Amino acid sequence: MDIFYDAATKVKCESILNWKKSGKPVVGYTCSYAPPEIFHAAGILPVRLRGIETDGTDIADAYFGPFICSFPKCILQLAGKGMFDFLDGAVITPGCDSMRRIDECWRKAGEDHDGIVPPFFYYFDVPHKSEAHGMRWFKNELKLMIKAIETHFDVKITHKGILAAIKKFNIGRRMLKEIETMRWAKDVVVSGTDVFTATIAGAVMPRDEYNQHLKQWLSGLRRRKKSLSKNKIRLMLAGSASDEINLIRLLEENTGAIVVAENICFGIRAEGNEIDEKGDPIDNLAKHYMDQSVCPRMYGKYKERLTSIKERIDRARVDGVVMQNIRFCDLHGAENSLYERDLEAAGIPCLKLEREYGPRADSGRMKLRINAFLERIDAKSNQKSTEPLSVSA
Amino acid sequence: MRPEIKEYNYDRILGQTLSAAARFPAGSDKETELTYRYIPYFKGVLKPLIDTGVPGKIFLELLALYYENILTAHARGKKICGTTFCYSPAILYAMDIVPATFEILTALGGMVWKRGMFDYMDFCCEVGMPETSCSSQRGFLGAFLAGLCEEVDFLVCDSPGVCDTNANAYAFSSAYLNKPFYQLNYPSSIGDERSQKYHVDDYKEMIRFMEEQSGNRLDYDRLAEILKEVDLQDHLTADLEDLLMLVPSPLPPLYNLMIYAGRFCFSGQKIYTRVLEAMLKWGKNRAKTGLSGLRSGDEKLRIFTCYIDHYTVNLNFWNYLEDRNFGHLGCILSRNFRDDNKYVKNLPGSAYGIDLSTKDAMLDSMAQLNARMPMVRTIRGPYDKPGMWLDESLELVRFFQADCVIYNGTPGCRNTWGMVKPFARDMEKNGYPTHIMNDDAFDDRVESWEATKERLDEFFQVRGLL
Repeated sequence: MDIFYDAATKVKCESILNWKKSGKPVVGYTCSYAPPEIFHAAGILPVRLRGIETDGTDIADAYFGPFICSFPKCILQLAGKGMFDFLDGAVITPGCDSMRRIDECWRKAGEDHDGIVPPFFYYFDVPHKSEAHGMRWFKNELKLMIKAIETHFDVKITHKGILAAIKKFNIGRRMLKEIETMRWAKDVVVSGTDVFTATIAGAVMPRDEYNQHLKQWLSGLRRRKKSLSKNKIRLMLAGSASDEINLIRLLEENTGAIVVAENICFGIRAEGNEIDEKGDPIDNLAKHYMDQSVCPRMYGKYKERLTSIKERIDRARVDGVVMQNIRFCDLHGAENSLYERDLEAAGIPCLKLEREYGPRADSGRMKLRINAFLERIDAKSNQKSTEPLSVSA
Repeated sequence: MRPEIKEYNYDRILGQTLSAAARFPAGSDKETELTYRYIPYFKGVLKPLIDTGVPGKIFLELLALYYENILTAHARGKKICGTTFCYSPAILYAMDIVPATFEILTALGGMVWKRGMFDYMDFCCEVGMPETSCSSQRGFLGAFLAGLCEEVDFLVCDSPGVCDTNANAYAFSSAYLNKPFYQLNYPSSIGDERSQKYHVDDYKEMIRFMEEQSGNRLDYDRLAEILKEVDLQDHLTADLEDLLMLVPSPLPPLYNLMIYAGRFCFSGQKIYTRVLEAMLKWGKNRAKTGLSGLRSGDEKLRIFTCYIDHYTVNLNFWNYLEDRNFGHLGCILSRNFRDDNKYVKNLPGSAYGIDLSTKDAMLDSMAQLNARMPMVRTIRGPYDKPGMWLDESLELVRFFQADCVIYNGTPGCRNTWGMVKPFARDMEKNGYPTHIMNDDAFDDRVESWEATKERLDEFFQVRGLL
């Protein structure tokens, strides 16, 4: 687990530094709609860009305006401080308006801070719809990005290579899926913090190394007997992008709760499903990354997402959902309200939390609200248990 | 929402108000002047419009008709489509569907009522929209979500890929009220073959959706008539822009608002053509005098608002321009990007043409026109890429000989707040003093108009522009 914690909590983690020592390139990407398999097929380490370890946003604030989500600001802050100096490339995706503007802000910051813009700086234009023409656009974008990588890094990305990468990533996905299944059990043997940590690590570690460590960890989990969920409230964490281990820890530490599911783009939601290993690998990547409409950036798919989250809630026996949105993330902010309306109507308690990403200035406030929410769930379950059993005639 | 606000339908009260306003200047000038005494709360917005002469009077008719269309749509067996300002309503008219454009309906309430649209905006937050979402939709949307307006039958927006908060307002409405919804999505590029095709493919899907929702087939004869009218309107607008190039500009600042608001309400409809013709006639006459279109006739400064204007009560922003003798050269909403406009010559791929030769050609024209609507064209991609916001703004400030640039938006404008600082810096590097307003174009509570005015004055003073 140590290597996962290292990867999940440090921008310059050991795995990345070791990879760099071998002289092979690293490319960062900003969104779960960018397929890391393509980079892997090119012998490049794909690293999901994150904003951890920031202690302020003074550099980012010089480029981004005031009404912008703190997640991309933290990424730009790290870039400005040279924390991403291991990157040979960066791929910016229009996940949302705040994230897509990293493109300009990073390049412009590069005019003031020497050497912070990686030599390969690429805009990967992901559409907002997965209908036939949206899918065609996305496939073309994949092909254009492949060509750009081949040209810049002087490599060849073959279908065979992509297929091999898909297979490799699927190995990890299958293991994560098994871990997810373990969390559905009545007696859960692994904490949400640990699972989240392991998932985040998968977004930055070289896949072979990751699979190997995940395999070891999983075999240990299979042997675990001690239930961590006994008498605990089972929570799901949903909402804006978050790679903060401390957020899950806040939910689990000394609260009488355990996180048994996530519905955020850094969690198993993006990693849990396998990619088809037969047929055209570009088609398969496109289908996997575009067709699921898991993020509210895919407008008009709320009903599909509601169905999906309900299934997850049922499977993981969730007692309550904590839905967070980073301030100015209207997409999740609005969708969280819709979830709250519909899930509460279905008898599932929900807590909406607006927060800032990064330095945890408001963890005290959040803790207070989380505790109040847990008390509410607790009171509800106590009420249930004291209600007389209904006797059928 | 306050209970008394819930007593009346928003569109009905504002529709009645505008209907009365349109009849207001029907008498003699003396009668009009005397009647102002009886409308102290509306004089501030009505008088500046009436003072612009015939164009202002027709414009009031246009606004009244817009509400009347919405209020009577269902009685006339028509469907209402909730849509956005950056979506051309011409196609809706071609399909006999009535548009209800959220931002127009928000702006009008904000400009006419001292209480603004605050109660409706806040209602959106009551039902779950974040307070950081865009106020331009939240005004009318609050009334819509609260059931205080004619029922909107379905929703179409064209902001995905361009503006999240805009698109999100429509997606939220659709999910909240269970209304059918279509999103026209735009890629980050424009003018290349691939994006042109994407525009058309998506537009055709949208037509299918609207046919299904409205029960009306697209009537191509009607579309041809409307496109002919759009063609005429585009050329009238180009003639107005020729006048705007003159120093001093013979056009009053309010004409800018009338050009784009009219287009958003009635593109391809005769009433908008009448407004444009009247403005052109007035402007040409004024140009002969050599005076500016400002009431004083004296133009001290030429201002280009690179994003949107300010729409709070009593047309504060336009009155400010008049008071300070500042000419208004337009904003991101003003230009239509028709292919024979002079300013598009240096912005390859940025323009659309109108071709009526076949059904497909007409559809293609509409799809490409829509893809060049304000915001949709300009800020879909990185601001400093060829033909995008920076290139466009530089071309326009040079073309219209602006002295300075003002950025104004809402806190919801993540798409521009994400890069307006480097954008402003680039404008400055090119020699154009640029001021970023930290207010909300639709909500005075974010920053009072008085504070906004002070900051504007400060900018003009400090930068030595006066």
